[in-house]
Amino acid sequence: MNPIRMTALAVGLVLGLLILVFATRDTSRDRMTTHLVGAVAPAVVGVTLDGSEWDLDDQRGRWVVVNFFSTTCVPCIREHPELVAFAAAHAEADDVRLVTVAFDDSPSAVAAFFARNGGDWPVLTVDTGRVAVDWGVIGVPESYLVTPSGHVAAKVIGGVEMDELDGLLTRAMAAIS
Amino acid sequence: MNATLGTAFVAIGLSASVAGLLSVAWGLATRSPVFVVRARGWVALLAVAAVGQVAVMERALITRDFTVAFVAEHGSHRTPALFNVATLWSALEGSILLWVLILVGYVVLVVRRFRHRLDDPVVGWTLLVLFVVCTFFFLLLAGPAFPFTRFEPWAGYDGPGPNPLLQNHVLMAFHPPVLYLGYVGFTVPFALAVASLVTGRLGEGWLLEARRWTLMAWGCLTVGILLGAWWSYEVLGWGGYWAWDPVENASFLPWLTGTAYLHSVMVQERLGMLRVWNLSLLCATFSLTILGTFITRSGVLESVHAFTESGIGPMLLGFFGLVVVTTVGLIAWRGDSMRTVGSIDSPVSRTAAFLVNNLLFGAFAFVVLLGTVFPLLVEAANGDRISVGNPYFERMTMPIGFALLFLMAVAPALPWGGTTGATMAGRLRWPAVAGAASMVLALGLGSRGWAPTLAVGLAGFSIGGAVRQLGMTVRSRGLRGLVGRSSGGMIVHIGVAVVAVAFACSSAFIRQAEFRFDQPGERAVFAGHELVFEGLTTVELSEKTEIRVSVRVDGRTYLPAISTFPFGSQTIGTPATRSTLRDDLQLAVLAVPDERSNTTIVRVTVQPLVAWLWVGGAVMALGTAFAAVPTTGGRRRRGADETVEGSPEGVTV
Repeated sequence: MNPIRMTALAVGLVLGLLILVFATRDTSRDRMTTHLVGAVAPAVVGVTLDGSEWDLDDQRGRWVVVNFFSTTCVPCIREHPELVAFAAAHAEADDVRLVTVAFDDSPSAVAAFFARNGGDWPVLTVDTGRVAVDWGVIGVPESYLVTPSGHVAAKVIGGVEMDELDGLLTRAMAAIS
Repeated sequence: MNATLGTAFVAIGLSASVAGLLSVAWGLATRSPVFVVRARGWVALLAVAAVGQVAVMERALITRDFTVAFVAEHGSHRTPALFNVATLWSALEGSILLWVLILVGYVVLVVRRFRHRLDDPVVGWTLLVLFVVCTFFFLLLAGPAFPFTRFEPWAGYDGPGPNPLLQNHVLMAFHPPVLYLGYVGFTVPFALAVASLVTGRLGEGWLLEARRWTLMAWGCLTVGILLGAWWSYEVLGWGGYWAWDPVENASFLPWLTGTAYLHSVMVQERLGMLRVWNLSLLCATFSLTILGTFITRSGVLESVHAFTESGIGPMLLGFFGLVVVTTVGLIAWRGDSMRTVGSIDSPVSRTAAFLVNNLLFGAFAFVVLLGTVFPLLVEAANGDRISVGNPYFERMTMPIGFALLFLMAVAPALPWGGTTGATMAGRLRWPAVAGAASMVLALGLGSRGWAPTLAVGLAGFSIGGAVRQLGMTVRSRGLRGLVGRSSGGMIVHIGVAVVAVAFACSSAFIRQAEFRFDQPGERAVFAGHELVFEGLTTVELSEKTEIRVSVRVDGRTYLPAISTFPFGSQTIGTPATRSTLRDDLQLAVLAVPDERSNTTIVRVTVQPLVAWLWVGGAVMALGTAFAAVPTTGGRRRRGADETVEGSPEGVTV
């Protein structure tokens, strides 16, 4: 075989392997999802919009979706109807609860947002920065699924869809039982 | 309405690219040039679509039409007008719009340039490749990077505005478009290279075309990279301008292979050698732009200025695969028949120097590429996560840089054939004196350490060499001799040497310290400068709140600031820089008083010669412009195929 052809094929082979490596890598987004998964969920304690205390520890024995959000983030606004639908679908069975932690937002804006767009689950607004730091939130929206034993089962960066959450929940339930 | 109009333009663009692609392919397959010529109409339609979609998006951004999701996510009423326009390229979808606009602009230029030769198969294949690339990017726009998604804002909605870092300096308005002009510009020489490989027509006329398009793209890329460095220097305030970040490397890699091509192509023009190698370099340069785009936009590597992730990664990787398979296949298939017999007469000749140049640029590109993707390779091999930092890049690239500086001094003085030691000694005497003198000068001015001193010496040597060449040209042809490719090249060399000196000295002799001030009137002394803390002022602007720290340095007041943007609670610094040709003094605010402490922390960075980076860049741009002007030899309106194939006769300067 002539040298040019051999060199070309060798270069092609190396680049092919490189492409293979690239193609099989998780993106950094996927990698970030593994950060808290499996660990005990950090504390989520705060005051809800209606002024009552809320503590994640009180929810032991239940599945909880912890959602970080802000009224000024477009993906959060887009995912909101999905969360409303998810909450409605699970309202009767009460097999999973939802809590929203409003990140760097004013309580009045958050209250107005929920009044306008629906959603009757607890929303924490005051001094939520600490919670977000403990959970390692990089940017809203982020959502976490917490098991009845208080462990993080899954993390979703970016807007969620109802089906996606249901899928995560079903898989996590199956994994535990 | 903007969303509808924009969607229509994307659809028109995609259809026009596919139609153009099919038309040209049919014309080539059936040998009916009329179908290739017809591509003109499709190109016109492409241009309408590319301009139209950008105009629509800019209109949406300027009028804050939040029914377009891109505007809702990245636009804002508070963003100042200039940054409002620049918001287009602050996020993924808009940046692809800009990319497509520039790509289509190049396609229009190609069609215009070859308007009398559209029936030539080489032009046909070139257009085919360009249509394939256009189709790919319109597919990105129609699919994962669709920019005109709708959004339903409620009354009083206001978006968050672009990333605060991107609306903090006017350079952000210029750096990305200029960089893209370079990046995207390599598509044309790539298309010409593929066309040459397919048709087997390697007449030196086509070579001249490829060289000219490459030169244009290369010049823009050079300026774009330096503008980016300048931006990060002015905005980030850490006293640096280059961090070997994957995104920076992504723009640097095609620059390296493009530079190698611009040199080795001269061997081909002169002696007809290295044809396959040159075509390979053009293909590599384009492949690297696609690979770089993949690295930047897929999220596969973590980087400080990667775009948000999207489904664009797999498509870019697939396209990179297609480019690699096509070019490697073509070179393997056609390469052998294009080889020319020839050998290098003497190891001490300009031809040999160009070969060494190519080896060095190849090694440079390999080192940078390896350092960029190494973390991924290691992770694939054993699951470890490592990062490759500056020490690797500095240690590996420094010797190559020195060797290139040396070569830059010696090579222009070498004749094409062999030479004798005495001749060379005569030619290199004055440049060597200049090099030695600049080393002595550097030591006298306080340079310590061998690396920066050697860099100054070698830079003086190569500036001496370039000035000698320019002097000889001016003596024989007058000042008009300064225009044209060889003189332009020498001017670029001077620019490179200036940049090298600035780079070496500013990184070797950087002095940095942090000062804590509690009360106005407190003083500090650093690197011969006296700093007096004068207090804080808070300024409310529409898009941000600025806390300005007033510091008096050597009798002049500077106002470095920390800005808080209301949305996203991002706090970013705005350094204050005093730039002189001798050194730069930069003040950056690290902390301002809050509930916990009453202390203001200011970082002071003093760096010599930073301004010369930008001066050197301007000289490089000037040299490139001079080199692009055709000299009398090139102006003889050569038909592209006038030179007989295989003829070693090229265009001489």
